[in-house]
Amino acid sequence: MQNSLKIALVVILLIYLFIILKSVKKKNMRINYLIFWSITGIILIIALLVPNFVDNVSKFLGFELPINMIFSFAIFIALYLIFDLTKLITKEQNNNITLIQEISMLKKRIDELERKNKNN
Amino acid sequence: MKILLIIPAYNEEENILNTCNSIEKYNKINNKNIEYVVINDGSTDNTLKVLRENKLNHVNLIKNLGIGGAVQTGYKYAYENGYDIAIQFDGDGQHDVNYVEKICKPIIEGQVDMVIGTRYLNKEESKFQSTFMRRLGSNIISFFIRILCGKKITDPTSGFRAANKNVIEKFAKEYPTEYPEPESTVQLLVNKYKIIEVPVSMNERVGGVSSIRFGKTVDYMVKVVLAIIIDSISFRRKRRKK
Repeated sequence: MQNSLKIALVVILLIYLFIILKSVKKKNMRINYLIFWSITGIILIIALLVPNFVDNVSKFLGFELPINMIFSFAIFIALYLIFDLTKLITKEQNNNITLIQEISMLKKRIDELERKNKNN
Repeated sequence: MKILLIIPAYNEEENILNTCNSIEKYNKINNKNIEYVVINDGSTDNTLKVLRENKLNHVNLIKNLGIGGAVQTGYKYAYENGYDIAIQFDGDGQHDVNYVEKICKPIIEGQVDMVIGTRYLNKEESKFQSTFMRRLGSNIISFFIRILCGKKITDPTSGFRAANKNVIEKFAKEYPTEYPEPESTVQLLVNKYKIIEVPVSMNERVGGVSSIRFGKTVDYMVKVVLAIIIDSISFRRKRRKK
């Protein structure tokens, strides 16, 4: 890989890490996800900077081509993330249902009490 | 005995007033005191206006939840207000209030926890037998329930059901919101609640749109069967742990 490309990629990754930090600061992302995303960024920077890192790891793990390793890892991580998000969405949906039910019933209760007060 | 009719309503401006009037009329004639609560499931038409203007007892859900979430709100209402029996009752004129007594009787006598009003048990009783597709669907679901729970439920999708205090409490805390009727039936059966069916007559819908769209029947069937299989498996494991 040419050095200029390497530098460009490292800069992009640093910007990426910065964006992650900033969104956590702005409360757009939970710390939980900060760890996940920053670890992926840091691993990518290491892979870029350490010479022959990808080749050696993929040889060690028994992949025929380094690109195979990268693709399989990327797909596994993406699948895990989607699975996790599906679980999260379902949980939030259930919470939402409960909240809507409770709020609606409280509203009814308030209405009734207000009407009683007016009559007294 | 405090009895509550839970009436879920989604875009039922044409029917809801008639349904509630028929209940009040029934109370007057038979000298009964059956209460009802309409759950307005975020209707986009004038259902809420009709409910307010006629001072019908109602809970107005601030967002649309679907039939399961709406009915569960009714069970929560019944639980919080200490009702002895809660009956699901459609707001579209399909169900007949005259059958309320019949459907409550086994619960009042203390024999069972839940009574399901069925269209299929007694062919003479019910003039409206619903469409072929729907009957086929009911048969398939009922076949799977029989295999998984060893109990024959002829009309597992019936929305005319009465529940006693134990079931009200269970439903208030936990109610399947995706495919409510068949799933909750299976969950009750695997937890050893007693369920019986009583033949009732149902009318054809007077107006409005049915909540089940027929183009989606096959999709619905597959998911319901999957859901009830999963229900029966996970609950059995839980029992073994105890």
